[in-house]
Amino acid sequence: MIYAKMMFGGLGRRGFEAISAAMILTFAVSIVVTGFMIVAGSRDALLRAERADRPDVVHVKGRYNRALFETPRSGNLPPLTLPVYEPLVAAEAFANLASNVLVLPRQSLLRNVVTANSFLNTYVFGIEPEREAQVSRFSVVQGRFLRPEDENTVVVDQASARALGVGLGDGIAIRKADGFDLKVEIVGILDNMNLHNPPPRTVDAPALDPDASFVSSGIFVTLRTSQVIFGRTTLTDALLVAPSADRVPAVVDQLHHAFRLEPGVFVTERYARFRRKVHDFAASLAFFLSVTGAAAGLSAFLIIRLLHDVYAERRQQLAILSALGFSPARNTLTLIGLGMAVALSGAIAGMLLAVLFAPRQFAMPSLMADLGSVEPRLDRLVLVLIAGSSALAIGLGLTPTVWRLTRHTLARELADPAP
Amino acid sequence: MNRAGFAVLRSVSKTYRRGPTGIDVLRDISFSVAEGEFVLVCGPSGSGKTTLLNLIAGLDRPDAGEIIVAGRSIAGLSLAAAARYRSQCIGFVFQSYNLLPQLTALENILLPMIPRARWDRHAALDLLDRVGLAGRDAHRPPELSGGEQQRVAIARAFANDPSLILADEPTGNLDEHNADLVRELLRRSCREHRKTLIMVTHDRQATQWADRVLELRAGSLIDPED
Repeated sequence: MIYAKMMFGGLGRRGFEAISAAMILTFAVSIVVTGFMIVAGSRDALLRAERADRPDVVHVKGRYNRALFETPRSGNLPPLTLPVYEPLVAAEAFANLASNVLVLPRQSLLRNVVTANSFLNTYVFGIEPEREAQVSRFSVVQGRFLRPEDENTVVVDQASARALGVGLGDGIAIRKADGFDLKVEIVGILDNMNLHNPPPRTVDAPALDPDASFVSSGIFVTLRTSQVIFGRTTLTDALLVAPSADRVPAVVDQLHHAFRLEPGVFVTERYARFRRKVHDFAASLAFFLSVTGAAAGLSAFLIIRLLHDVYAERRQQLAILSALGFSPARNTLTLIGLGMAVALSGAIAGMLLAVLFAPRQFAMPSLMADLGSVEPRLDRLVLVLIAGSSALAIGLGLTPTVWRLTRHTLARELADPAP
Repeated sequence: MNRAGFAVLRSVSKTYRRGPTGIDVLRDISFSVAEGEFVLVCGPSGSGKTTLLNLIAGLDRPDAGEIIVAGRSIAGLSLAAAARYRSQCIGFVFQSYNLLPQLTALENILLPMIPRARWDRHAALDLLDRVGLAGRDAHRPPELSGGEQQRVAIARAFANDPSLILADEPTGNLDEHNADLVRELLRRSCREHRKTLIMVTHDRQATQWADRVLELRAGSLIDPED
């Protein structure tokens, strides 16, 4: 009680000033906290966009040959190989890439699939299941997904299974390149899939998403099985995952070099476009951050001025306490207690205001609204920033008084009236 | 009474610097005070009386010389050590009382006990009673007269049972009646508790109660007995 009185009692005019300043401080801090929350939310939006865009992924694909798609429209295919992309990508070309670049080889082709009562044009994808799962998402509703050691087993999507009239554990025949059928067993059924860099959808085939312009269904087999069906080892396409997005240009350079003699192979990446988007977003964010920084600076200045005035008022009291045997450390703690109470009450009140009234979400006013909406949030970093700036302001406000008390003699402080 | 012992000052000098010029406030001051002695330091304004008291209390540092109180040299104490020394050995009575206006009379007396981690409310009430202010414990300094405030300050000086009481013009702001009261209270309290008292004043009436009177003039000591 006596400490509370020593800290807060007898402030007089300064007490009124302190209350007014604390109110202004509350509004200033609420602006700062809102700013920091928006910055934190923007960082999330960026990370979200990065996860969705995967700028670290490079796509290598063979030439897309439309002419070959004319035939399947009849619905009753002759036993022809009809690639989506031409199988021009030799897997050996990736051997010289850095070891930390992940290679996801693919064979995607269109095939005539036959069951006891039905046949169908459908996409067949040869993949390496564990690697593919790192960039694409598959939702298995029945059975299981492919395993690396699987042979002559397939996972099929619900739309294709329905069209073929088959279910889990049934067998289907896929026509191979040599004209014979390969009997395979269905080990899993997908109700959803999100294939990274799927081929364009130009042929009538069952689809999980009928409106999609990209293939949204298919029969998945291991690469080993697809090589048997396809009758060749060259790939139609491959995904390469760079260790980080900024390593993509180097990977692309290496790929251009590797496929310089193969005009039918194309290398595409999203990194350059993503970087342009991010640059625009970062520019908007930097502007916002500078406004927030200015508001933070103003708030800190306000706290520093207020504490300086309050402390100056208290210098003679501190000198009296020192004369009565209070140690410098005990006096400094009393000062810090006062500073903490003023600064933290403003900071906490401001934080509450910000949390209550900050917008729940909004679009960043920039060219790259397609990064998604920004959801302001109060995270640990924001709390650390606010606590840090409050502590810094208290420290700066306290410094002149502590400096004076340690540099000047107590006798002089006792003789000098408070300002 | 042992004259050679309790507080000893040897060749103490103090100069205040104002820009390039220096003002010699104290010059080569040497004297000693025995335990339980009542020493009065007289002299005109600006003669260095308050500075002398501040040096003994460790509120200021001498430029030269040595100050020993209760066997401890205090001239070179750090801020923390000086605070500890004041808490353990010194009771200070200021001319302008220096009570904290936001605290009650009782809380002001309890204040010096905080650094000693000794919170004796009964002792504080007893001190208040002894200075004739029983029942005024809940009053804050603005609600007390000058004489009453100085009596609270005297009670505060005795709160930690110090061995040395330093009083800087304790009657300077008081009328004749209150000055007599305060002077008598200080003298009686020190005698009863066998405290050493060094009092600075230009109040000539106090000289009749003192064991010894030291005269300061322009920073130099004129001891009538030497």
